Amino acid sequence: MFDDKQTPQSQDGTKFSSVASVRDLKVHFKAKRGVVHAVDGVSFEIRDGETLGLVGETGCGKSVTGRSFLRLLPVPPGILAGGSIRFKPQAACVGCNGAGCDFCAGAGRAATGEQQVDLLKISDEQMRRIRGDRIAMIFQDPGKALNPTMTIGAQVSEAFLQHRSKDLLKKAGLRADIGGCVGRFAHQEPRFGDGILLRVPPDRENRKRVQKALNAMVSSALADTQVPNPVKLMDRFPHELSGGMRQRVMIAQALACNPDLLIADEPTTALDVTVEARILDLIRDLQQRRKTSVLYISHDLSLVRRICDRVAVMYAGRIVEIGPSEEVFRNPRHPYTRGLIAAVPAAGIPRGQLAAIRGSVPELIDPPAACRFSGRCLYETSACRKHDPVLYNVSEGHSVACFIDHAAPSGDQPKYEKETS
Amino acid sequence: MSNQPQAQAESAGLNKTESAFRVRFGRIIGLFSRLVSNPTTVLGLVIIGLMLGMAIFAPWITEPNVPDPYQMPRDWGAVRMPPGTPGHWLGTTNEGGDVLYGIVWGSRTSLQLSLIVVGSTMVIGTIVGSIAGLLGGWVDELLMRIVDVFLSIPELIFALAIAAVLGPSFANIIFALSVVLWVKYARIMRAQVMQVKTNDYVDAARVIGDSKLNIYLRDILPNAVTPVTVQATLDMGNVVLIGATLSFIGLSEAGIAEWGVLVSEGQAGIASGRWWASTFPGVLIFLWAMAFNLVGDGLRDALDPRTEGR
Amino acid sequence: MSAVPKQHPSQEVLLSIRDVKKHYPIRDGALQRVVGSVRAVDGVSFDIRRGETVGLVGESGCGKTTLGRVISGLSDPTSGGVLYNLGQIGLQSVDGLQDNAARLFRRNCQMVFQDSFASLNPRHLVIDIVGRPLKVYKEASGSALTEKVVELLEQVGLGRQHLYRYPHQFSGGQRQRISIARALALDPEIIVLDEPTSALDVSVQAQILNLLNDLQKERNLAYLFITHDLSVVRHMADRLVVMYLGKVSEAGVASEVFQAPHHPYTKALMDSKPDLHEDRSETHTRGLGGIVPDPARPPQGCRFHTRCQSATPSCGWEVDDVIGLLEENQGIFEFMNGVERKSAFEAELSFDSEESAGLLAVALRSEQAPEAMKKALNRLQLNGDRVNLSFNQVDEVPLIQRAGGRESSCLLDPDEISIQGM
Repeated sequence: MFDDKQTPQSQDGTKFSSVASVRDLKVHFKAKRGVVHAVDGVSFEIRDGETLGLVGETGCGKSVTGRSFLRLLPVPPGILAGGSIRFKPQAACVGCNGAGCDFCAGAGRAATGEQQVDLLKISDEQMRRIRGDRIAMIFQDPGKALNPTMTIGAQVSEAFLQHRSKDLLKKAGLRADIGGCVGRFAHQEPRFGDGILLRVPPDRENRKRVQKALNAMVSSALADTQVPNPVKLMDRFPHELSGGMRQRVMIAQALACNPDLLIADEPTTALDVTVEARILDLIRDLQQRRKTSVLYISHDLSLVRRICDRVAVMYAGRIVEIGPSEEVFRNPRHPYTRGLIAAVPAAGIPRGQLAAIRGSVPELIDPPAACRFSGRCLYETSACRKHDPVLYNVSEGHSVACFIDHAAPSGDQPKYEKETS
Repeated sequence: MSNQPQAQAESAGLNKTESAFRVRFGRIIGLFSRLVSNPTTVLGLVIIGLMLGMAIFAPWITEPNVPDPYQMPRDWGAVRMPPGTPGHWLGTTNEGGDVLYGIVWGSRTSLQLSLIVVGSTMVIGTIVGSIAGLLGGWVDELLMRIVDVFLSIPELIFALAIAAVLGPSFANIIFALSVVLWVKYARIMRAQVMQVKTNDYVDAARVIGDSKLNIYLRDILPNAVTPVTVQATLDMGNVVLIGATLSFIGLSEAGIAEWGVLVSEGQAGIASGRWWASTFPGVLIFLWAMAFNLVGDGLRDALDPRTEGR
Repeated sequence: MSAVPKQHPSQEVLLSIRDVKKHYPIRDGALQRVVGSVRAVDGVSFDIRRGETVGLVGESGCGKTTLGRVISGLSDPTSGGVLYNLGQIGLQSVDGLQDNAARLFRRNCQMVFQDSFASLNPRHLVIDIVGRPLKVYKEASGSALTEKVVELLEQVGLGRQHLYRYPHQFSGGQRQRISIARALALDPEIIVLDEPTSALDVSVQAQILNLLNDLQKERNLAYLFITHDLSVVRHMADRLVVMYLGKVSEAGVASEVFQAPHHPYTKALMDSKPDLHEDRSETHTRGLGGIVPDPARPPQGCRFHTRCQSATPSCGWEVDDVIGLLEENQGIFEFMNGVERKSAFEAELSFDSEESAGLLAVALRSEQAPEAMKKALNRLQLNGDRVNLSFNQVDEVPLIQRAGGRESSCLLDPDEISIQGM
């Protein structure tokens, strides 16, 4: 369906290019009872500049999918069992500088010319260069993701020291290829004895200049996340900050190097609702200004509806529905998506009648060749118990993996008895 | 996480023989199987088994001495005999004591020593630690400062001092070690109790209205006691080590069938090449301590809540 | 169409919470002297009637969990009390109850906790857990006990096959059902539910909420439903109590509060998380700026004034607000030498130099300072390198009775809130 050599097109002809392209991703885990198919054949695109929501309940595999991008899974017991994640960073088109021209087919943005890489297959060294620089990740519990023994300034500096040493040296007014202890300091590769050398002139002066440039970069990154008094913040430790502030620091750290893709794994679950709303606005704002693509993983449907352009619903290691978020929420086609939306308490639902989905998530050990939602689905038929549906297009940009919307190879076709609102 | 298929399968055949006893028993079996899955633990268990057998069957292995089987029999006609001598298969000491007899009956004394010391220290330490952990406040402060005083003195020297003051006797060694070693358990228990009591299930029991004692016995103690049992197992080995050391120094009665005393007796002969009187009891002290340490480690791993779940 | 709330003002009051306060002392120094106290709950009153669900809502640090523990008897209030309806004798303080009366209260007020895993003893089987209340009160034993437990399990959607299992063998939703079965064992009148579904998936949450509603109808149970999730409380509660920093900011009939909030904090909560079923284009979501103040030093006047978009000059502006403004402002705070307070509302700030003192005056007149604070500033005097300032003294804002049984601790007219909090 998508040809990597050309700019992909959606059905109505508008063009989009993808920052990342996941194809048939399979991640399994070895457990005592067998091999758990946590992610079992997941394919989707993350388009340039969009926020894609990955939504699902516990155990659906959304977190594992997100972590696969940066290979943050423990490799035993995890097994990368197949598939690929192709990463192709985009930037403003050099030909027209964002205005639109033939080269970028009017989109204003095009591939940067860097080779497309398969994130699952590149070397550890290459992955290290990408992490924090081209792809960044923010996590659920900022209290645990920040080092309690380092000041905020030191932690955010790390991003710059790892990936932006050249810019740092330039800003300090030094040669980019400066060697010696100052060069090592800027690249965060200290050698034994550097501590002393850096305190003695002439290197002391250079070190101070680098430090000053670094501080300026850090405080600018923090200011971007709308924290009051960034300079004062840099001297504080994580335990002195509130949850919302810590999350802002984590966002600053992630966006320090202007990554092409940001993966957010439930970043606001641990925060109060009023703080959460602010953080979401911040993410949205930063994303729009810098044109970062975002993969937003969450279990919270109302949140995803609010900030995601497109949404993919996951269940039992597969994507069951994907499409523009307004479309999916207004017109959900997969019975699981419908069940999920109906289960959220809302203003009109009388008490005791929340639409609960009966049963529970199946164990993903050696799953049988049937629809994974069978056994819980209100509309299932014999066809559903024998065949495993794949994603099929039902309307513009909207795909569903259910026999309700396309023919099953055999057996009775399921259908919605009546369209419920 | 879900046990839906499991539950369905079992409700289909409605497991009629399932009962609380069987399930709890099954859990203990599970613990055992985890224990024996570790080869070093099995080695330790085997050694302990052999030692235990030796202790139990001592009267049948060697003829008990009269009137007191715990006194080493002296064969003044076969003094300083090497191993292999008929009637004294492991040789004799400078004073005609049968080494084999000493080893076999020494296992009994070691068993007594470790059981009594570990048993009493565990009980005292658990009680003191629980009181400190539950009541907190000045009671906790007071008890812990006492514990601190005890801990500030090295175990061996402390026990030595007490035993020396009381006079040389095996019973005094047992007493001295008990006095010295209970503080370890108090510390452990206090920390555990303080952690366990914050759990919601303890609050749940309070909301039900259960009595404080019952809550302690049913909710707090069982969940807090695990590190104590591991420590107790390790101590079974270490107590014999320390006890033997004290006996070796001479704080025990001379001439009793005890490994430390034997090592001491045989020590004089080593320079002259008579290695057997010290070496054999020494090897057994080593095996005893090592075996319990192996089992203790294995127990700690087997009881680790992370592996307990599945 | 919203759910019809159960409005039975004539229903008897089961539990009356009267001005409950719970303060935790802060100790400092070698002698561990008490230097202050964390005012976790600072004067909360409301009633729980038979058969109704009272929703207790707030964010982290508001004191709702602490209050739940005081109400269920796990912790004693520092002052104020909880009164329980003993039938003929009427409402009696839980504190003073003896023997049978105390046991009666204990049996009739049960609790379900948030963490389903931590609230079940991992070494006990389900039969031990659910049967325990029956054993404690000697209601049943042996096979009669087993049967009673099976009955309870069936009522919560579990079965006989679950009797001899350990908690870790169940899913989160099932464990919560076990917790509920345990709470029901003694046939209580009221159950305190502390965030019972916060850790559960949405679809599991729906099952549990349905179960709770069914049980309530069958047994005429009263619930105190503590949560931070507005959509859940909107669905479950008849009456709503919103807490902020240890005090009630608003209370009333749940559906009415949602229709027309009478407190800016309630409005902020509702605005932060729109209903799932509203179109994106129609929602204006916004959160709350600022941070939750230190519960050991709550703001004067209305506790919410430091973050309120609709604050007025009489909402309790004080010296600490000025200092807070400085802290956020680079370049002034570092030059401040000291603060001499004559009261919470009046103080003299001394600076390094005249210049820095002047900067403060400028900042206080700039747009960084809230309009209401500027108007509330009574006196602002520059004295070389010192600044004298004072505000009007304002009392703590009490809970004001409004129309229709509503209470709100906001001075504003309810109409003004909806317009202003833009």
